Amino acid sequence: MRARRISRTLLVGVSLLAFFGLWEGVVRLAEYPPFILPAPGDVFRRLGTLLADGSLWRHTGVTLGEILAGLSLGTLVATALGYLLAHFPVAERLLSPYIIASQAVPVVAVAPLLVIWFGPGLLSKILVCALVVFFPILVNTVVGVRSVEPELRDLMRTLEAGRWKTFLFLEVPAALPVLLSGLKIGATLSVIGAVVGEFVASNRGLGYLIKQGQQLYDTPLVFVGIGMLVVLAQTLYGTVALAERFLLRGNSIPSEEVR
Amino acid sequence: MLSSVLRVEHLHMAYPRPEGWLEVLRDLSFQVAEGEFLTIIGPSGCGKTTLLRLIAGLARPVSGQILLRGQPISRPSRQVGFVFQKPALLPWRTTLENVALPLEVDGYSRKEALQKARALLRWVGLEGFENASPAHLSGGMAQRVALARALIHDPSVLLLDEPFGSLDALTRETLARELARLWEERRGTVVMVTHSVSEAVFLADRVLVLTPRPATLAVEIPIPFPRPRDPSIMETPSFTALVRKVREGLTQARLSTDAPPGPSGGHLAVPRTAPTG
Repeated sequence: MRARRISRTLLVGVSLLAFFGLWEGVVRLAEYPPFILPAPGDVFRRLGTLLADGSLWRHTGVTLGEILAGLSLGTLVATALGYLLAHFPVAERLLSPYIIASQAVPVVAVAPLLVIWFGPGLLSKILVCALVVFFPILVNTVVGVRSVEPELRDLMRTLEAGRWKTFLFLEVPAALPVLLSGLKIGATLSVIGAVVGEFVASNRGLGYLIKQGQQLYDTPLVFVGIGMLVVLAQTLYGTVALAERFLLRGNSIPSEEVR
Repeated sequence: MLSSVLRVEHLHMAYPRPEGWLEVLRDLSFQVAEGEFLTIIGPSGCGKTTLLRLIAGLARPVSGQILLRGQPISRPSRQVGFVFQKPALLPWRTTLENVALPLEVDGYSRKEALQKARALLRWVGLEGFENASPAHLSGGMAQRVALARALIHDPSVLLLDEPFGSLDALTRETLARELARLWEERRGTVVMVTHSVSEAVFLADRVLVLTPRPATLAVEIPIPFPRPRDPSIMETPSFTALVRKVREGLTQARLSTDAPPGPSGGHLAVPRTAPTG
């Protein structure tokens, strides 16, 4: 077990080293100017200056705040609505055309509208984020709640468990594995949502930083922004995966680990 | 007869089908005495499971009523314990937590619930499996857990819906003996549905034989063997005679209802996929 973990860490290290080596090699051989493809060294130097003046933390903080708020809002609305749809087929028939429509329109197209309605501030980004997160979590909630076996529902009825007790003792734990895998997808998607929102209109955040880098041909800045987004997405995913392992212990559906 | 705990009176039950109503129970009446072990046997698909679901309050009859200690049953109640065909254990709870579930739903403290569950689990012979996941239990063990769970409320009536139906023959026999022993220790009123004639005779104080759908009472056979019953009674001529009597009852019930054929006789030409078990 332990040896396996060490070899896995080693593998990640080797893979990263190879990646940066290849990158450095390409830059040296092709002699690209830094504004086309900066060398790893250029990017790390830019990272250093951004860390030194504190601006990277500030922008990352803004984006992370949007992500967390959007993810929470989207999850809250999606699970509540999902529970409703799972229990009331009429509600599903009534609402599903709109829900599907909200998914058919790319979020990039809706984002400007949200900025017009809710202003270029934090709120519009949170809403874009929530919108992206909404669908996978909704679908997984419906699937999770519906997957509860009818025998188990009968059992709860014979125990005189009301709606709330059935929810607490049966539906939540039964739906949790599916819900958490939806949340894992949602967590990574929320990063996209925040950046899309920032691209449309913003003066803060990692999306703003990347856009500025593009306009100034400060390509290393773009790379730092992208790198930071990767770190954010990985951290969020890892957090949900950790929560999953803690909450489900041995009783999860066999989930494939994606890293 | 002793005071009856459960009275089933003129019960009619039917399910809507695209072709019309599927009549499942027709004018079924019987009583269950306090502390009696009643087994109900009938051809498959005759509505035995429906009957138990009605007694449990999980479904409402078309007409007729069921009285539990004089009170009509209109919805599920803790007074009635139910062991389903499948063990219906919650996979995310340990064996012990599954037994404790009814008390936790009632709002007992977790500690109290687990304490009572532990005693019951020991009683059904599963000491040492408290922390096992239901996924790791055999079919027979899982049904013991379901039995313990159904008894934790001390219900007035325990309903067993073919609890050994999905088990292999050997486990089934062991568990039937075990159930007889457990019941003799505890008594209590039991209504059990089964497919096995010898099981029905071995366990019961009285066997009810139902007709094919729409089910009504065909014959009622008292089983006079003294308690506690030893499995060796199954080799006695009187046991064999009773088994034969039940079998004859089943055959006659089939013949008598086969007589009026066609849709007017209550049989609809529907595939036998009714949810009646």
